[in-house]
Amino acid sequence: MIDLYVYFLTLVMVSMVANTALSIYGIFFRPSMIKKIIALTILGDTANTFAIIIGYKRWVNPETPVTTPVLLNYTNINKTYIEEFAKMRAVDPLPQALVLTAIVIGLAVNLYLVFLTLQTYRLYGTTDVREIRRLRG
Amino acid sequence: MNRDVIGLIVLLALIIGFSLLLSIAGKYYIPNPESRKPTEIFGGNNQLAYLYLKYTYYPNDTSRTVLSPEAVTAIVWDFRGLDTLFETTVFYLAIIGALALGRGLIKIEKPVGEHGLSIIVKTVTRLTSVLIVTVAASIALHGHLTPGGGFQGGSAAAVAPLLILIIFSIYYFLEKGISKTLMLIIRSIGLIVIGLVAISCFIIGVIQGSEAFVFQNQRKIVGVYGEHSIEVSLPSHIAGELISGTLWFFNIAEFFAVMAGFTIVFMLLFVPEKAFREGGGK
Amino acid sequence: MINLELLLYAFMALLSISSVIAVYLAIFEKKLVRAVVFSAIQSTLYAILYYLLMAPDIALVYIPVSVGLYPAVILILIRKTEGEEKV
Repeated sequence: MIDLYVYFLTLVMVSMVANTALSIYGIFFRPSMIKKIIALTILGDTANTFAIIIGYKRWVNPETPVTTPVLLNYTNINKTYIEEFAKMRAVDPLPQALVLTAIVIGLAVNLYLVFLTLQTYRLYGTTDVREIRRLRG
Repeated sequence: MNRDVIGLIVLLALIIGFSLLLSIAGKYYIPNPESRKPTEIFGGNNQLAYLYLKYTYYPNDTSRTVLSPEAVTAIVWDFRGLDTLFETTVFYLAIIGALALGRGLIKIEKPVGEHGLSIIVKTVTRLTSVLIVTVAASIALHGHLTPGGGFQGGSAAAVAPLLILIIFSIYYFLEKGISKTLMLIIRSIGLIVIGLVAISCFIIGVIQGSEAFVFQNQRKIVGVYGEHSIEVSLPSHIAGELISGTLWFFNIAEFFAVMAGFTIVFMLLFVPEKAFREGGGK
Repeated sequence: MINLELLLYAFMALLSISSVIAVYLAIFEKKLVRAVVFSAIQSTLYAILYYLLMAPDIALVYIPVSVGLYPAVILILIRKTEGEEKV
Protein backbone atom coordinates (compact mmCIF):
# COMPACT_ATOMS: atom_id res chain seq x y z
CA MET A 1 0.00 0.00 0.00
CA ILE A 2 2.52 2.62 1.09
CA ASP A 3 6.27 2.36 0.58
CA LEU A 4 7.77 2.04 4.08
CA TYR A 5 11.31 3.07 3.03
CA VAL A 6 10.04 6.35 1.64
CA TYR A 7 7.79 6.96 4.65
CA PHE A 8 10.62 6.68 7.20
CA LEU A 9 13.00 8.91 5.27
CA THR A 10 10.27 11.52 4.78
CA LEU A 11 9.63 11.41 8.54
CA VAL A 12 13.27 12.31 9.20
CA MET A 13 13.13 15.30 6.83
CA VAL A 14 9.83 16.65 8.21
CA SER A 15 11.06 16.45 11.82
CA MET A 16 14.17 18.43 10.89
CA VAL A 17 11.90 21.11 9.40
CA ALA A 18 9.88 21.11 12.64
CA ASN A 19 13.11 21.57 14.64
CA THR A 20 14.02 24.57 12.52
CA ALA A 21 10.60 26.16 13.03
CA LEU A 22 10.72 25.64 16.82
CA SER A 23 14.18 27.16 17.16
CA ILE A 24 13.30 30.22 15.05
CA TYR A 25 10.26 30.77 17.31
CA GLY A 26 12.61 30.48 20.30
CA ILE A 27 14.98 33.13 18.95
CA PHE A 28 12.28 35.71 18.28
CA PHE A 29 9.70 35.32 21.03
CA ARG A 30 11.60 34.43 24.23
CA PRO A 31 12.84 37.40 26.26
CA SER A 32 15.91 35.99 27.95
CA MET A 33 19.27 36.34 26.20
CA ILE A 34 20.52 32.93 27.36
CA LYS A 35 17.47 31.22 25.87
CA LYS A 36 18.19 32.96 22.58
CA ILE A 37 21.75 31.61 22.56
CA ILE A 38 20.52 28.04 23.23
CA ALA A 39 17.99 28.31 20.38
CA LEU A 40 20.69 29.65 18.03
CA THR A 41 22.90 26.60 18.62
CA ILE A 42 19.98 24.26 17.93
CA LEU A 43 19.28 26.09 14.63
CA GLY A 44 22.91 25.76 13.50
CA ASP A 45 23.05 22.05 14.29
CA THR A 46 19.83 21.33 12.41
CA ALA A 47 21.11 23.15 9.32
CA ASN A 48 24.24 20.98 9.38
CA THR A 49 22.10 17.85 9.66
CA PHE A 50 20.29 18.79 6.46
CA ALA A 51 23.59 18.86 4.60
CA ILE A 52 24.63 15.43 5.89
CA ILE A 53 21.28 13.83 4.97
CA ILE A 54 21.72 14.94 1.35
CA GLY A 55 25.03 13.10 1.11
CA TYR A 56 23.50 9.72 2.01
CA LYS A 57 22.90 7.00 -0.58
CA ARG A 58 20.40 4.15 -0.52
CA TRP A 59 21.57 0.53 -0.67
CA VAL A 60 22.13 -0.98 -4.11
CA ASN A 61 20.96 -4.49 -3.23
CA PRO A 62 19.83 -5.74 0.19
CA GLU A 63 23.08 -7.57 0.99
CA THR A 64 25.76 -4.89 0.58
CA PRO A 65 25.45 -1.94 2.95
CA VAL A 66 26.92 1.50 2.22
CA THR A 67 30.17 2.35 4.02
CA THR A 68 32.04 5.43 5.18
CA PRO A 69 34.35 7.13 2.65
CA VAL A 70 37.50 5.47 4.07
CA LEU A 71 39.58 2.84 2.29
CA LEU A 72 40.28 0.38 5.07
CA ASN A 73 42.72 -2.09 3.51
CA TYR A 74 44.92 0.10 1.37
CA THR A 75 47.90 -2.24 1.05
CA ASN A 76 46.45 -4.72 -1.40
CA ILE A 77 44.04 -3.07 -3.83
CA ASN A 78 43.46 -3.26 -7.54
CA LYS A 79 41.53 -1.16 -10.02
CA THR A 80 38.21 -3.00 -9.80
CA TYR A 81 38.11 -2.61 -6.04
CA ILE A 82 38.57 1.16 -6.31
CA GLU A 83 35.93 1.36 -9.05
CA GLU A 84 33.35 -0.51 -7.01
CA PHE A 85 34.18 1.56 -3.91
CA ALA A 86 33.76 4.86 -5.72
CA LYS A 87 30.68 3.99 -7.72
CA MET A 88 28.52 1.94 -5.43
CA ARG A 89 29.53 1.50 -1.87
CA ALA A 90 30.66 4.78 -0.35
CA VAL A 91 28.78 7.84 0.89
CA ASP A 92 29.50 11.28 -0.57
CA PRO A 93 32.52 12.82 1.23
CA LEU A 94 32.10 16.44 0.12
CA PRO A 95 29.14 17.51 2.38
CA GLN A 96 31.01 16.13 5.39
CA ALA A 97 34.04 18.30 4.70
CA LEU A 98 31.89 21.42 4.30
CA VAL A 99 29.95 20.69 7.51
CA LEU A 100 33.26 20.38 9.41
CA THR A 101 34.10 23.97 8.48
CA ALA A 102 30.59 25.13 9.35
CA ILE A 103 30.71 23.60 12.84
CA VAL A 104 33.97 25.41 13.66
CA ILE A 105 32.68 28.78 12.50
CA GLY A 106 29.39 28.37 14.39
CA LEU A 107 31.29 27.48 17.54
CA ALA A 108 33.48 30.59 17.30
CA VAL A 109 30.50 32.95 16.82
CA ASN A 110 28.53 31.42 19.71
CA LEU A 111 31.49 31.67 22.11
CA TYR A 112 31.85 35.34 21.23
CA LEU A 113 28.11 35.89 21.86
CA VAL A 114 28.52 34.43 25.37
CA PHE A 115 31.16 37.04 26.18
CA LEU A 116 28.95 39.83 24.85
CA THR A 117 26.06 38.70 27.07
CA LEU A 118 28.34 38.71 30.12
CA GLN A 119 29.47 42.26 29.42
CA THR A 120 25.83 43.40 28.91
CA TYR A 121 24.89 41.97 32.30
CA ARG A 122 27.75 43.83 33.97
CA LEU A 123 26.62 47.14 32.43
CA TYR A 124 22.83 46.94 32.80
CA GLY A 125 22.25 44.49 35.63
CA THR A 126 19.77 42.30 33.76
CA THR A 127 19.55 39.94 30.78
CA ASP A 128 15.89 40.56 29.99
CA VAL A 129 15.53 42.22 26.60
CA ARG A 130 12.36 44.13 27.54
CA GLU A 131 14.04 45.64 30.61
CA ILE A 132 17.00 46.82 28.55
CA ARG A 133 14.64 48.41 26.07
CA ARG A 134 12.88 50.21 28.90
CA LEU A 135 16.19 51.52 30.20
CA ARG A 136 16.86 53.01 26.77
CA GLY A 137 19.82 50.73 26.04
CA MET B 1 2.45 20.96 32.81
CA ASN B 2 -0.83 20.08 31.12
CA ARG B 3 -0.34 22.68 28.41
CA ASP B 4 3.05 21.23 27.57
CA VAL B 5 1.75 17.68 27.14
CA ILE B 6 -1.15 18.78 24.94
CA GLY B 7 1.12 20.91 22.77
CA LEU B 8 3.59 18.03 22.38
CA ILE B 9 0.89 15.53 21.33
CA VAL B 10 -0.54 17.97 18.78
CA LEU B 11 2.92 18.62 17.30
CA LEU B 12 3.75 14.89 16.97
CA ALA B 13 0.40 14.10 15.37
CA LEU B 14 0.97 16.91 12.86
CA ILE B 15 4.41 15.56 11.91
CA ILE B 16 3.34 11.92 11.48
CA GLY B 17 0.19 12.84 9.55
CA PHE B 18 1.95 15.28 7.26
CA SER B 19 4.69 12.82 6.28
CA LEU B 20 2.08 10.12 5.63
CA LEU B 21 0.28 12.52 3.31
CA LEU B 22 3.54 13.40 1.54
CA SER B 23 4.56 9.79 0.95
CA ILE B 24 1.16 8.77 -0.40
CA ALA B 25 0.93 11.76 -2.73
CA GLY B 26 4.23 10.89 -4.33
CA LYS B 27 6.01 14.23 -3.82
CA TYR B 28 9.06 13.82 -1.63
CA TYR B 29 12.79 14.10 -1.60
CA ILE B 30 14.99 11.19 -0.51
CA PRO B 31 18.49 10.27 -1.66
CA ASN B 32 18.27 8.65 -5.05
CA PRO B 33 19.85 5.21 -5.63
CA GLU B 34 21.15 6.20 -9.04
CA SER B 35 22.59 9.58 -8.10
CA ARG B 36 26.07 8.55 -9.23
CA LYS B 37 25.09 7.94 -12.85
CA PRO B 38 27.61 9.61 -15.14
CA THR B 39 26.39 12.32 -17.47
CA GLU B 40 26.98 12.41 -21.20
CA ILE B 41 28.54 15.86 -21.50
CA PHE B 42 32.27 15.17 -21.24
CA GLY B 43 32.19 11.52 -22.10
CA GLY B 44 30.92 10.23 -18.80
CA ASN B 45 32.61 9.71 -15.42
CA ASN B 46 32.72 13.29 -14.26
CA GLN B 47 30.62 13.24 -11.09
CA LEU B 48 32.37 15.12 -8.31
CA ALA B 49 31.84 12.50 -5.61
CA TYR B 50 33.10 9.75 -7.94
CA LEU B 51 36.26 11.71 -8.77
CA TYR B 52 37.04 12.56 -5.15
CA LEU B 53 36.59 8.96 -4.02
CA LYS B 54 38.57 7.47 -6.90
CA TYR B 55 41.61 9.72 -6.69
CA THR B 56 42.14 9.81 -2.98
CA TYR B 57 44.52 6.82 -3.00
CA TYR B 58 45.65 5.97 -6.52
CA PRO B 59 49.32 4.87 -6.54
CA ASN B 60 49.38 4.12 -10.28
CA ASP B 61 49.20 7.78 -11.29
CA THR B 62 50.78 10.06 -8.68
CA SER B 63 49.98 13.30 -10.46
CA ARG B 64 46.33 13.57 -9.38
CA THR B 65 46.24 11.89 -6.02
CA VAL B 66 46.75 12.74 -2.37
CA LEU B 67 47.92 9.24 -1.31
CA SER B 68 45.77 9.16 1.81
CA PRO B 69 43.04 6.53 2.17
CA GLU B 70 40.78 8.88 4.12
CA ALA B 71 38.70 10.96 1.74
CA VAL B 72 37.34 13.60 4.14
CA THR B 73 40.77 14.64 5.52
CA ALA B 74 42.15 14.78 1.97
CA ILE B 75 39.35 17.12 0.91
CA VAL B 76 39.77 19.36 3.97
CA TRP B 77 43.55 19.78 3.74
CA ASP B 78 44.48 19.23 0.11
CA PHE B 79 41.65 19.35 -2.43
CA ARG B 80 39.94 22.31 -0.73
CA GLY B 81 42.74 23.59 1.48
CA LEU B 82 41.95 27.31 1.09
CA ASP B 83 38.58 26.88 2.83
CA THR B 84 40.35 25.54 5.90
CA LEU B 85 42.82 28.41 5.86
CA PHE B 86 40.10 31.03 6.10
CA GLU B 87 38.14 29.07 8.69
CA THR B 88 41.23 29.10 10.90
CA THR B 89 41.38 32.86 10.45
CA VAL B 90 37.76 33.29 11.56
CA PHE B 91 38.35 31.20 14.67
CA TYR B 92 41.44 33.23 15.52
CA LEU B 93 39.53 36.51 15.15
CA ALA B 94 36.77 35.28 17.49
CA ILE B 95 39.31 34.45 20.20
CA ILE B 96 41.00 37.84 19.83
CA GLY B 97 37.61 39.53 20.12
CA ALA B 98 36.82 37.62 23.32
CA LEU B 99 40.22 38.59 24.78
CA ALA B 100 39.61 42.24 23.95
CA LEU B 101 36.34 42.20 25.92
CA GLY B 102 38.14 41.00 29.02
CA ARG B 103 40.12 44.10 29.77
CA GLY B 104 39.92 46.08 33.01
CA LEU B 105 41.10 43.26 35.23
CA ILE B 106 42.85 44.12 38.46
CA LYS B 107 45.08 41.72 40.27
CA ILE B 108 43.51 38.42 41.35
CA GLU B 109 44.44 37.74 44.98
CA LYS B 110 44.13 34.31 46.40
CA PRO B 111 42.08 33.83 49.58
CA VAL B 112 43.45 31.51 52.24
CA GLY B 113 42.15 28.01 52.81
CA GLU B 114 41.47 24.90 50.76
CA HIS B 115 40.28 25.30 47.19
CA GLY B 116 38.43 23.01 44.88
CA LEU B 117 36.28 19.96 45.49
CA SER B 118 36.93 16.99 47.77
CA ILE B 119 39.97 14.74 47.68
CA ILE B 120 38.22 11.79 46.03
CA VAL B 121 37.36 13.88 42.97
CA LYS B 122 40.88 15.27 42.81
CA THR B 123 42.48 11.82 42.77
CA VAL B 124 40.19 10.55 40.01
CA THR B 125 40.85 13.68 37.96
CA ARG B 126 44.60 13.14 38.17
CA LEU B 127 44.14 9.74 36.50
CA THR B 128 41.52 10.54 33.89
CA SER B 129 42.96 13.78 32.52
CA VAL B 130 46.10 11.96 31.37
CA LEU B 131 43.92 9.35 29.64
CA ILE B 132 41.88 12.03 27.89
CA VAL B 133 44.95 13.74 26.44
CA THR B 134 46.37 10.39 25.25
CA VAL B 135 43.22 9.39 23.38
CA ALA B 136 42.95 12.84 21.81
CA ALA B 137 46.58 12.73 20.61
CA SER B 138 45.93 9.32 19.04
CA ILE B 139 42.91 10.69 17.18
CA ALA B 140 44.96 13.63 15.87
CA LEU B 141 48.03 11.64 14.77
CA HIS B 142 46.07 9.01 12.82
CA GLY B 143 44.05 11.58 10.93
CA HIS B 144 45.15 10.44 7.49
CA LEU B 145 44.43 6.71 8.03
CA THR B 146 41.25 6.52 10.10
CA PRO B 147 38.47 9.03 10.79
CA GLY B 148 39.93 11.85 12.85
CA GLY B 149 42.32 14.71 12.31
CA GLY B 150 43.52 17.95 13.82
CA PHE B 151 40.28 19.58 14.87
CA GLN B 152 38.70 16.41 16.24
CA GLY B 153 41.72 15.67 18.44
CA GLY B 154 42.05 19.29 19.57
CA SER B 155 38.49 19.70 20.76
CA ALA B 156 38.56 16.33 22.56
CA ALA B 157 41.79 17.36 24.30
CA ALA B 158 40.24 20.67 25.42
CA VAL B 159 38.03 18.77 27.89
CA ALA B 160 41.01 18.04 30.16
CA PRO B 161 41.91 21.67 31.06
CA LEU B 162 38.20 22.36 31.63
CA LEU B 163 38.04 19.52 34.16
CA ILE B 164 41.15 20.71 35.94
CA LEU B 165 39.80 24.28 36.10
CA ILE B 166 36.54 23.16 37.67
CA ILE B 167 37.86 20.61 40.14
CA PHE B 168 41.05 22.25 41.25
CA SER B 169 40.60 25.98 40.96
CA ILE B 170 42.01 28.73 38.81
CA TYR B 171 44.57 29.57 41.50
CA TYR B 172 46.16 26.16 40.84
CA PHE B 173 46.80 27.16 37.25
CA LEU B 174 48.24 30.51 38.21
CA GLU B 175 50.57 28.90 40.75
CA LYS B 176 51.97 26.48 38.19
CA GLY B 177 52.77 29.34 35.86
CA ILE B 178 50.23 28.60 33.12
CA SER B 179 48.86 32.01 32.18
CA LYS B 180 46.90 33.40 29.27
CA THR B 181 50.09 34.73 27.67
CA LEU B 182 51.66 31.26 27.52
CA MET B 183 48.57 29.78 25.84
CA LEU B 184 48.52 32.66 23.35
CA ILE B 185 52.18 31.94 22.50
CA ILE B 186 51.41 28.24 21.90
CA ARG B 187 48.48 29.11 19.66
CA SER B 188 50.56 31.54 17.63
CA ILE B 189 53.31 28.93 17.18
CA GLY B 190 50.71 26.46 15.88
CA LEU B 191 49.36 28.97 13.36
CA ILE B 192 52.88 29.89 12.18
CA VAL B 193 53.70 26.21 11.56
CA ILE B 194 50.49 25.84 9.52
CA GLY B 195 51.47 28.84 7.41
CA LEU B 196 55.02 27.56 6.85
CA VAL B 197 53.90 24.06 5.81
CA ALA B 198 51.41 25.58 3.38
CA ILE B 199 54.17 27.37 1.44
CA SER B 200 56.88 24.76 1.95
CA CYS B 201 56.68 23.40 -1.59
CA PHE B 202 56.98 26.91 -2.95
CA ILE B 203 60.17 27.47 -0.94
CA ILE B 204 61.64 24.17 -2.14
CA GLY B 205 60.83 25.21 -5.70
CA VAL B 206 62.56 28.58 -5.26
CA ILE B 207 65.70 26.87 -3.94
CA GLN B 208 65.76 24.29 -6.71
CA GLY B 209 64.91 26.72 -9.46
CA SER B 210 61.61 25.21 -10.60
CA GLU B 211 58.09 26.48 -10.10
CA ALA B 212 55.51 25.14 -7.63
CA PHE B 213 52.06 25.95 -6.26
CA VAL B 214 51.00 27.05 -2.81
CA PHE B 215 49.30 24.23 -0.85
CA GLN B 216 50.91 21.63 -3.08
CA ASN B 217 51.27 18.07 -1.80
CA GLN B 218 52.41 15.71 -4.57
CA ARG B 219 53.64 16.31 -8.10
CA LYS B 220 51.27 17.86 -10.63
CA ILE B 221 50.97 18.00 -14.42
CA VAL B 222 49.88 21.28 -15.98
CA GLY B 223 49.43 22.48 -19.50
CA VAL B 224 46.73 22.06 -22.12
CA TYR B 225 48.05 18.77 -23.52
CA GLY B 226 49.74 17.64 -20.32
CA GLU B 227 53.30 18.38 -21.36
CA HIS B 228 54.60 20.38 -18.41
CA SER B 229 55.33 18.46 -15.23
CA ILE B 230 56.07 19.97 -11.83
CA GLU B 231 58.16 17.51 -9.89
CA VAL B 232 58.30 19.15 -6.46
CA SER B 233 56.60 17.08 -3.79
CA LEU B 234 56.86 16.21 -0.13
CA PRO B 235 57.63 12.56 0.66
CA SER B 236 54.60 10.36 1.04
CA HIS B 237 56.32 7.51 2.82
CA ILE B 238 58.96 7.83 5.52
CA ALA B 239 60.82 4.60 6.27
CA GLY B 240 58.00 2.53 4.88
CA GLU B 241 55.18 4.20 6.83
CA LEU B 242 52.51 6.25 5.08
CA ILE B 243 52.39 9.91 6.11
CA SER B 244 50.84 11.50 3.00
CA GLY B 245 53.02 14.56 2.57
CA THR B 246 51.73 17.71 4.25
CA LEU B 247 48.70 16.15 5.96
CA TRP B 248 50.57 14.80 8.98
CA PHE B 249 52.21 18.14 9.84
CA PHE B 250 48.93 20.00 9.40
CA ASN B 251 47.21 17.69 11.84
CA ILE B 252 49.83 18.09 14.58
CA ALA B 253 49.93 21.90 14.34
CA GLU B 254 46.11 22.18 14.31
CA PHE B 255 45.90 19.97 17.42
CA PHE B 256 48.09 22.30 19.47
CA ALA B 257 46.45 25.46 18.14
CA VAL B 258 42.89 24.34 18.91
CA MET B 259 43.72 23.06 22.39
CA ALA B 260 45.47 26.30 23.38
CA GLY B 261 42.64 28.40 21.91
CA PHE B 262 39.96 26.71 23.98
CA THR B 263 42.05 26.95 27.15
CA ILE B 264 42.32 30.73 26.74
CA VAL B 265 38.52 31.05 26.54
CA PHE B 266 38.00 28.96 29.67
CA MET B 267 40.60 30.81 31.70
CA LEU B 268 38.89 34.07 30.79
CA LEU B 269 35.48 32.80 31.91
CA PHE B 270 36.62 31.52 35.29
CA VAL B 271 37.85 34.82 36.69
CA PRO B 272 35.80 35.64 39.85
CA GLU B 273 33.37 38.54 39.59
CA LYS B 274 34.95 40.52 42.44
CA ALA B 275 37.99 41.28 40.33
CA PHE B 276 35.83 43.12 37.84
CA ARG B 277 33.70 45.18 40.14
CA GLU B 278 35.95 47.01 42.57
CA GLY B 279 37.72 49.56 40.53
CA GLY B 280 38.26 47.59 37.36
CA GLY B 281 37.56 50.06 34.59
CA LYS B 282 34.91 49.96 31.90
CA MET C 1 14.37 -12.08 8.99
CA ILE C 2 13.17 -8.60 8.22
CA ASN C 3 15.10 -6.47 5.80
CA LEU C 4 18.09 -4.84 7.50
CA GLU C 5 17.69 -1.59 5.59
CA LEU C 6 14.11 -1.18 6.83
CA LEU C 7 15.22 -1.63 10.44
CA LEU C 8 17.89 1.03 9.98
CA TYR C 9 15.43 3.56 8.57
CA ALA C 10 12.90 2.83 11.35
CA PHE C 11 15.56 3.53 13.95
CA MET C 12 16.48 6.81 12.25
CA ALA C 13 12.81 7.88 12.29
CA LEU C 14 12.53 7.05 16.00
CA LEU C 15 15.62 9.16 16.78
CA SER C 16 14.27 12.14 14.82
CA ILE C 17 10.92 12.12 16.62
CA SER C 18 12.67 11.93 20.00
CA SER C 19 14.78 14.94 19.05
CA VAL C 20 11.63 16.97 18.27
CA ILE C 21 10.36 16.19 21.78
CA ALA C 22 13.69 17.29 23.32
CA VAL C 23 13.79 20.57 21.35
CA TYR C 24 10.19 21.42 22.32
CA LEU C 25 10.94 20.85 26.00
CA ALA C 26 14.15 22.89 25.79
CA ILE C 27 12.51 25.98 24.33
CA PHE C 28 9.36 26.06 26.47
CA GLU C 29 11.10 25.66 29.85
CA LYS C 30 11.43 28.49 32.31
CA LYS C 31 14.30 27.31 34.50
CA LEU C 32 17.43 27.71 32.42
CA VAL C 33 19.49 24.85 33.91
CA ARG C 34 16.87 22.34 32.79
CA ALA C 35 16.81 23.88 29.31
CA VAL C 36 20.56 23.32 28.96
CA VAL C 37 20.18 19.67 29.99
CA PHE C 38 17.46 19.13 27.37
CA SER C 39 19.71 20.71 24.77
CA ALA C 40 22.48 18.24 25.66
CA ILE C 41 20.02 15.32 25.27
CA GLN C 42 19.13 16.61 21.80
CA SER C 43 22.82 16.74 20.89
CA THR C 44 23.33 13.12 21.94
CA LEU C 45 20.42 12.00 19.74
CA TYR C 46 21.88 13.95 16.82
CA ALA C 47 25.27 12.29 17.35
CA ILE C 48 23.72 8.79 17.08
CA LEU C 49 21.94 9.97 13.92
CA TYR C 50 25.25 11.07 12.41
CA TYR C 51 26.76 7.67 13.14
CA LEU C 52 23.87 5.89 11.38
CA LEU C 53 24.25 8.20 8.37
CA MET C 54 27.87 7.00 8.00
CA ALA C 55 29.65 10.26 8.95
CA PRO C 56 32.20 9.36 11.67
CA ASP C 57 34.37 12.50 11.28
CA ILE C 58 31.45 14.73 12.17
CA ALA C 59 30.36 12.60 15.11
CA LEU C 60 33.92 12.87 16.50
CA VAL C 61 33.72 16.68 16.40
CA TYR C 62 30.12 16.98 17.55
CA ILE C 63 30.30 14.96 20.76
CA PRO C 64 33.06 16.91 22.62
CA VAL C 65 31.85 20.27 21.34
CA SER C 66 28.12 20.03 21.87
CA VAL C 67 27.80 17.69 24.86
CA GLY C 68 30.94 18.76 26.76
CA LEU C 69 32.03 22.32 25.99
CA TYR C 70 28.80 24.20 25.19
CA PRO C 71 26.76 23.16 28.28
CA ALA C 72 29.78 23.88 30.54
CA VAL C 73 30.18 27.42 29.16
CA ILE C 74 26.45 28.19 29.35
CA LEU C 75 26.23 26.83 32.91
CA ILE C 76 29.02 29.20 33.98
CA LEU C 77 27.13 32.04 32.29
CA ILE C 78 23.92 31.13 34.15
CA ARG C 79 25.80 31.08 37.44
CA LYS C 80 27.20 34.56 36.82
CA THR C 81 23.92 36.13 35.63
CA GLU C 82 20.30 35.24 36.34
CA GLY C 83 18.99 31.71 36.51
CA GLU C 84 15.35 31.97 35.58
CA GLU C 85 13.32 33.45 32.79
CA LYS C 86 10.26 35.54 33.49
CA VAL C 87 7.74 35.35 30.67
